[in-house]
Amino acid sequence: MALTPGSGRVPVRVFVRLKLRITGNSLRGRPARIVMFVLGLVAACGFAILGYAAFAVPGLLGRPAAAAVLFPFGGALIMLGWVFLPLLFFGVDNTLDPAQFALLPLRRRTLISGMTAAALAGLPALATLAATAGTVDSAARLGGVGAALAALLGIVCGLLLCVLLSRAVISAFATALRSRRARDLATIMLAVVTASIGPMELALLGLLNRADWDAVAGIAEVTGWTPLGAPYSMGVDVVAGRAWAVPLKVLIVLIAAGGLLLWWSRTLERAMAGAAGGAVPGRAMAPDPRAPVTRLLFRWSPRSRFGALTAREIRYWWRETRRRAALVTLGVAGVFLPITAAFAGGGEGATGMAFVVGAIAPVALANQFGYEGSAYATNLATGVPGRLEVHSRAAAHALYTVPTLVLVAVVTGLVADRPEGIAAQFGTLMATYGTGLALVLPISVRSAYALPDTNGPFSLSSGGGLSKALPGAAALIGAMVGALPVVLLVWMWPWLGLPVGLVYGAAAYWLGANVAGRLLDRRMPELLAAVTPR
Amino acid sequence: MNIPVQRPPSEGGTAAMSLRGLVKHFDTRLAVCGVSLEVPAGSFFGLLGPNGAGKTTTLSMAVGLLRPDAGQAVLLGYDVWHSPAEAKSLVGVLPDGVRMFDRLTGAELLAYHGLLRGMPADVVDQRARDLLDVLELGTGNRTLVVDYSAGMKKKIGLACALLHAPRLLVLDEPFEAVDPVSAALIRDILQRYVSGGGTVVFSSHVLEVVERLCSHVAIMSDGVLRMHGALADVRGERSLQEVFVQVVGGRVATGSELAWL
Repeated sequence: MALTPGSGRVPVRVFVRLKLRITGNSLRGRPARIVMFVLGLVAACGFAILGYAAFAVPGLLGRPAAAAVLFPFGGALIMLGWVFLPLLFFGVDNTLDPAQFALLPLRRRTLISGMTAAALAGLPALATLAATAGTVDSAARLGGVGAALAALLGIVCGLLLCVLLSRAVISAFATALRSRRARDLATIMLAVVTASIGPMELALLGLLNRADWDAVAGIAEVTGWTPLGAPYSMGVDVVAGRAWAVPLKVLIVLIAAGGLLLWWSRTLERAMAGAAGGAVPGRAMAPDPRAPVTRLLFRWSPRSRFGALTAREIRYWWRETRRRAALVTLGVAGVFLPITAAFAGGGEGATGMAFVVGAIAPVALANQFGYEGSAYATNLATGVPGRLEVHSRAAAHALYTVPTLVLVAVVTGLVADRPEGIAAQFGTLMATYGTGLALVLPISVRSAYALPDTNGPFSLSSGGGLSKALPGAAALIGAMVGALPVVLLVWMWPWLGLPVGLVYGAAAYWLGANVAGRLLDRRMPELLAAVTPR
Repeated sequence: MNIPVQRPPSEGGTAAMSLRGLVKHFDTRLAVCGVSLEVPAGSFFGLLGPNGAGKTTTLSMAVGLLRPDAGQAVLLGYDVWHSPAEAKSLVGVLPDGVRMFDRLTGAELLAYHGLLRGMPADVVDQRARDLLDVLELGTGNRTLVVDYSAGMKKKIGLACALLHAPRLLVLDEPFEAVDPVSAALIRDILQRYVSGGGTVVFSSHVLEVVERLCSHVAIMSDGVLRMHGALADVRGERSLQEVFVQVVGGRVATGSELAWL
């Protein structure tokens, strides 16, 4: 007996139950995940309370003008957060991946309403609702019941828009990122964006300091008429006696929601088909006539095991997206941190920041074996000795990092207006880098962990966890403490900076690399097991 | 059920692979409990078993990728865990479920393997070209291994294992995801290799392939070696399929279930 197609209508609560069940099962028997979940819960509560408090302040103070600025801006910020935060930091919530429903006889309308409901039944949605409820509080104090009801309508509309916007953008992204090349590119872009958040923040603060409040109020008014701010300015409009604006803004929200739904349902189909889509055939490229060894090695590489290991590592720092993202981040941070510090605090700040960059540089190696995962089996099966492994990896990293550090030293010297100190600065950087390597290399052998095997850009930060980042952070601080003697020396006799820094860094590196090499000789299979994703 | 008594290692030559009492726990689960196995030199040895039987775990311990909780693995007279360099230099390995350095092109990957094995550059070049050509991977192909199809990945993995002309090949599921034409090619290569004096140990759950190729087989399930010996001895009068299902204790459909289908 076959079921007649389309006879079973799937109620929305099935999707909600499915999501809650998957969330629950993913926690079962995994203490680390439970801890992460509880931390997430605490963060969500914190966000809800702080948000509520911030939005309630204008009401408590009886300042409608402040509310007219805060609500559209705050609301727009939250909505943008729904789009960008998952992409940049938290990882996309794919508890209900549309691809998993591809084979079920579900109508698109059912799927979309189900997935919307499932997204609403989550911590971020609840926290957002609670935080924006502060606007209802304010509206009630400033404009009575009518304003409160308008604000309530507003926050519900706002939440719906947040969810639709983030789902639609993620769905579109998932479709666009089907090919490995596009994913690789997106990873790098995300790294650049993430790395430039700090400098951008400083720039924004500078602008705000100079802005006059009339102009800000004008921008807030305009923001209130865009879909981003419309839902959250409804209460304020009633307070200001513009009740007529509320239906118009509801209309704006509805139009925006309709557009998003259309966009989402268009990309959803392709996202669902994605599960079955195979690998995209590579572009037809002209064959490479060179001999295999010549293709692997660089012209100056020794034709030996060391040469092969280093050449492979050098190619990997460029071709493996997570590594390239780390390099890009180091480059951006290395150049911009001293510059912004120089503008904020003058030459001393820039020098200090450059020092920090030297300590950040080796941290990219803290989980160097995790990057390629189980591919390390190749080196294990061919019997690469530990010391050779460690030296070759450090050499490849240094090949990218040392020029960056030269650049950092030069930039710092120029923005701090002390070109004569560039050599000493570089010496200090090398001392910090060497000390950092000495600490990071044994850590990379001792506390390696598996990174998720996907090469999706959104898996950058997932699976991290505090305990895993801790050794790297410890090495960062350790590098700065360890290089302090050189800093003091440079402070007293600047001309000693370069030679002493180089020797100090090299000696520290030699010590650490040998420790790491011997450690690796003893626990190669354990290392392989540690970096193999399960 | 008749389980043949363990045969002593073939007289004269040493065993190509000799496992003694290998044990491996994962957390609380016993993945492999006490596997002892002699693979005679010059044999084509098939390790059979259902999914999760412990084949990959056993082979990983045999070639030095996974440290056993107890037991010994000797390859061509060298203990993998006491003289790893000597043992590993004589063995070619194709692991399953393990990534390769897949952000290299096929040619680069082969060059990498060759140089890590300490081979001279000109020999690496010549052999890598031969292998890429014979396995139809394209000598000038610029595609990264990560973008290869599953079958091509198996083939480049096999090429890496063959490059240094080892005396023992340990292949984990070499025929999985490989198309029939490539599978026939790989079979030919391996048969020629064995007739030239090499030894092949491979795992599979495709019984037809094992039955056609192997001189010796072993059947594992639940981490225990159930049967092993020359193919003719293990099979007896029956088909390998029957023996396998009986030994592993699988369920045979009688026709009464799923009647609605």
